[in-house]
Amino acid sequence: MDCKLAVSLMHDYLDDDLAKEQNMMLKAHLQSCADCHMRFKELEQTEMALYSLPRHIPTASKELTERILNTLPKHKEPQIWVKWMKRHPAATAAALFLVVMLLSVINVFNQDSQLVVQGNNLDQIVIEGNTVIVPEGNVVSGDLTIENGKAEIFGDVEGNLTVIDGSLYTASTAQISGQVKSVDQALDWIWFKLSNVFSEIAYR
Amino acid sequence: MDQIEKRLTKLALKGDQQAFAEIVGLYKDKIYHLGYRMLNNRHEAEDIVQETFLRVFKSMDRYDPNQKFSTWIYRIATNLCIDRLRKRKPVYSLDADMNDQEGLDGYSLIPSDDRTPESELMISETKQLIYDAIESLPVKYKSVMILRYLQDMSLQEISDVLGMPVTTIKTRVHRGREFLRKKLETKF
Repeated sequence: MDCKLAVSLMHDYLDDDLAKEQNMMLKAHLQSCADCHMRFKELEQTEMALYSLPRHIPTASKELTERILNTLPKHKEPQIWVKWMKRHPAATAAALFLVVMLLSVINVFNQDSQLVVQGNNLDQIVIEGNTVIVPEGNVVSGDLTIENGKAEIFGDVEGNLTVIDGSLYTASTAQISGQVKSVDQALDWIWFKLSNVFSEIAYR
Repeated sequence: MDQIEKRLTKLALKGDQQAFAEIVGLYKDKIYHLGYRMLNNRHEAEDIVQETFLRVFKSMDRYDPNQKFSTWIYRIATNLCIDRLRKRKPVYSLDADMNDQEGLDGYSLIPSDDRTPESELMISETKQLIYDAIESLPVKYKSVMILRYLQDMSLQEISDVLGMPVTTIKTRVHRGREFLRKKLETKF
C-alpha cells in the first residue's frame, strides 16, 4: 500500500470511519512500514491528548448571567399609536401631509424677513436700513404696505397704511387718510394675504 | 434535553425573561469555554458570551424550530469568534513590552483575574502544551478542532454549525490533526 493512502486511512480510523476491510489493509501496512507505524503512534497520541483535555474548564464568572440579562433590551410591545398607524394608513398619510404643509407654510413665513415696501409713489419715502420713513411734508398718494420693517410716518399718506411684522410710529404731524393696520401673527398675515387677493380680484 | 430546550425556546420567543435566563444558564459555560479557547483571553470570552446571547435574544423571531437550538447558538458564537480573530490581525504579543511605557506589557491591560493562566498550568504542563498548539492553529482549523475535541461535536454537527459540507470538515480535522502532531511530536 502507498504510504499516502495509509495516512488518509489513519485519519479515517481516528474518525471512527473505517470499513473492516480497509482496517485490515491498514494494519498490514503498519506492520511492514516503520515510518507509517511511527506516524500512526504519534497521531494516536495527539488524539488521546486532545481527548484528555478538560471540557468545561474554565467557567464564566458568576455575575455574567446577571450582566447578560441586564443588557437585554426590554421586550418591545408596539406603541398604541404605531398600531393605530398600521390600521389606518390613509389617515396617517393625510395627517402627515397636513403636518408637512403646515411646516412649510410656517417656514415660508419665518424665512421671509426681507423688507418689502409696496405703494404707488415710492419716491416720496426714505428707506434707512430696516426703517421706512415718510418725511414731513412728503405726500404718499394711495396705499402703502410695509413688510418686515419699521414705519415712521411724519408726512401724509392718502390711503391705507399696513404694517406687517414690524412697528409703526406716527408723528404728530402725520396724516393718514385711510385705515391703519398692523399685522403681526402668522394667521393674521395669512388672512391679510387672502383678503388682499380677494379684494384685488373683486376690484379688477 | 431537547424537549426542555424546545419548551424554553418557545417560552423565550414569547418574551419570557425567566425562560431566557434558563437558556443562558444552560449554555453560558459552553459558549464561554468555546470563546476562551478560540480567543485565548478571558475578557474577550465573556464579551463573546454576552454578544452571543444578545444576538440570540434579538433574532429569536428568526429562529427556525426545525433546527437544533444548540446548533443555532453555536453558529452565532463561532462566527463571532472567527470575526474577532480575523479582525485581530496583526497579532500583538502580550509578552512584548510596549514602547512608550517601560515594564508595562499587554497583560497589564487585561482586567485582573484571580484565576491566572499559571493556576491552570498547575493542572498539567502537557495540557498547556496542547492548548498552546491549538492556539497556534490557523483560524479555519482552530474552530473545527475546538468544536470537535473541546465541545465533543460530531463531524455532522460541526458541518451544521459552520454551514459547510461534512467532507470539508473531515479534511480540516485531518489537517488540524497533522498540524498538532507536528507541533507535539517532539514533546511526547
